Amino acid sequence: MRRSQYKAWGLLAPTLVILFFVGLAPFFYVIYLSLFQYNIWSARGMVFAGVNNFRKLVFDSDFMHSLGIGLIFVVTTCAVEMSLGLIIALFLTNRFVGKGIVRTILALPLAIAPITIGSIWVLLTNPDIGPLPYVLRKLGVDYNIGVNANQAFLTTIFMDVWHWTPFVTLTLLAGLTSFPKEPFEAARVDGANRWQILRYVTLPLLTPVILTVLFIRIMDTFRIFDEVWMLTSGGPGTATRFVSIEVVRRVLVSTDYGYGSSMSVFILYLTIVVCWLLFQMISVVGRKTREV
Amino acid sequence: MVVVGIAQAAPPEWWKQAAGLYKGVTIRGVSESTPPSKAIRDYAAPLFEELTGIKVEFEVTSWDEMYTKSIADLSRKTGIYDFIYVEQDIIYAYLVQNWLTDMTALMAEYPQLTDPDFDIEDFTTFINYFKDAKGHVFGIPFEAFLKSYAYRKDLFEDPEIRDAFKAEYGWNLRPPKDWDEYTQIAKFFTAWGKRKGIELYGHVAQAKTHPCVAYEMVESIWPAWGIYNWGINLEKWRASVENGGTLNSERAKEAFRWYVDMLKYAPPGVRTYTWDETAAVMGAGKIAQGLIYLENLGWLATDTSRSVVTGKIGVALPPTYPGVMSEAVRGLGYIGYYDGGAFGIPVSSRKKEAAWLFIQFATRKEWGPEFAGLSGAVCRKSTFASSKIKALNEKMGGYFDMLRDRGFLFAGAPPLPMHRPLNELYLKWISRAVAGEVDPGEALDALAKEVDNLLIELGY
Repeated sequence: MRRSQYKAWGLLAPTLVILFFVGLAPFFYVIYLSLFQYNIWSARGMVFAGVNNFRKLVFDSDFMHSLGIGLIFVVTTCAVEMSLGLIIALFLTNRFVGKGIVRTILALPLAIAPITIGSIWVLLTNPDIGPLPYVLRKLGVDYNIGVNANQAFLTTIFMDVWHWTPFVTLTLLAGLTSFPKEPFEAARVDGANRWQILRYVTLPLLTPVILTVLFIRIMDTFRIFDEVWMLTSGGPGTATRFVSIEVVRRVLVSTDYGYGSSMSVFILYLTIVVCWLLFQMISVVGRKTREV
Repeated sequence: MVVVGIAQAAPPEWWKQAAGLYKGVTIRGVSESTPPSKAIRDYAAPLFEELTGIKVEFEVTSWDEMYTKSIADLSRKTGIYDFIYVEQDIIYAYLVQNWLTDMTALMAEYPQLTDPDFDIEDFTTFINYFKDAKGHVFGIPFEAFLKSYAYRKDLFEDPEIRDAFKAEYGWNLRPPKDWDEYTQIAKFFTAWGKRKGIELYGHVAQAKTHPCVAYEMVESIWPAWGIYNWGINLEKWRASVENGGTLNSERAKEAFRWYVDMLKYAPPGVRTYTWDETAAVMGAGKIAQGLIYLENLGWLATDTSRSVVTGKIGVALPPTYPGVMSEAVRGLGYIGYYDGGAFGIPVSSRKKEAAWLFIQFATRKEWGPEFAGLSGAVCRKSTFASSKIKALNEKMGGYFDMLRDRGFLFAGAPPLPMHRPLNELYLKWISRAVAGEVDPGEALDALAKEVDNLLIELGY
């Protein structure tokens, strides 16, 4: 090894050591724990279980339910946020009075911590004193997220959309404003109308950005916790008991570290698969865009 | 401020001398955000620091966070905390794990650090929950109170209401003796509120999808229906009827169906209420009767800045299923929950002596009447004799008399070392039934089965 390489590794060493202790070591420890039956209240202590925790996981209807509603939540919120975010971003490419103010207002929810978002929505949706149930009651809708499972689930979707659509909007807007002018000018010279420009020029150019934002939002929505924990704690019943809530309840409340760890490993596996698929899509689309 | 005055009246020399070796040390503690904890943080801790030079960093936080932090510290033996809140129902879990310091041994080892006026014999029988089989103390109580029946005395005494009630149900309105009477009163007041166009309901519950809904069933509802110890047979360590338990017995199902059905007489938001909101809605004057944690009675009955029903609250024993009261009198059962908490010292603490001094300071006799006024919590026998408490007793509907004379009818949580994971299972099935996802009877059958499985898995 050359002297310069020693120096490079020496400079990298502190980072690698930190990464090992905060990233890799806990990760391997979770994998290790997932192979044991380990609850701190157990009279038997730590018992090796092999892959039994994973076998149990597959037949655990509570976990599968959490996973199922979690996936519905991911698909719904991402679809709504991406569509709405794109429409607002396209609208913001136009010049109009007060555009700066609109952009600032859009950025506001992003500055609020998720736990605070949850608290705000607790007050908004409180069946006794909240403005939302009051207004909806006036419109003839009996809105009560403590009772109605569908309303609770839809409210978590609405809350997430309200919180994160601005992020999608602002990111797509950054992409839209960074495009070269030439393809648009060429399209106009060729007689393309606004719809055709959007369909055949803007969207293909924007696709890598769209996929990147989608990638981030899928990861975020899949592990949503704070807002929902604050708003419904997973209820009513199990209506909003998303997978992260299931894991937290299992690990922190039930202190079932072994089984909880196997859930975490399984979720990590799922996340890696989804990430890989999206990464492949981004690569293919990026290549095609460059070819165009 | 009154608290400060009283504490300052006590001679400080002993504390200064005893703490001499530990001057400059910082001790850390964590507790649930209860009125006594807040008073200790705001008044006792600064005074202690001033007297002894021992710095106290005392986190007062939510119930969930307190447990998460305490258990993380205890199980990993990190020694972050030098004193922690030990709620009555978790003590068995902590003792099994040997996580707490034996205070009886500590007192024997450091007699010079034990306040001559500490008087451990002055504590009520509630301290027995914090002793091991040998009678050694592992926690010093600083709050103890009942969860019982509270009602609006002014409404119950209103002639118009009394006449209307008698006309409808044929008996004079008074605190109910059994659940049928309770149900009739609940129906009456909810209908009365509607008829008069006022926000008034005949029932309240802590029915949110939250551990509180499970605690309400196991601590208050089921015992008063004669289902004790969470429906678990503590000899066989099983919950299902087929294995000797009572969790899915017909009586337990009847009680649970009643609980779910009664939610229609509570405010619309009842399924979003935890223990905090049940007291808050009573303080807002919206509830005629209900079972509430009487640690809230202090502010409900006397604090006009928080309660619109000051001077209007009465307390009574909870209604019971036929035969349950006589079982409780004979010591064969109990009618409700005797709640409270103590300060314990983790074995992992490296400043046990300084923590012990602080715990004694925070639980001294002089604070007793003040804490009782703040929260209705009484841990020392001498507190009942205080003139302040006698005066407060009137304002609080005779609560202190009930606590002193009838407290024996209530009980703390059963000795279930695995109560946290158990509670999680109870929460899952109870909240599913409360949300209408499953029938209450089916929920209890499934719950009993899962409890049996969990107990087997945990080696019981």
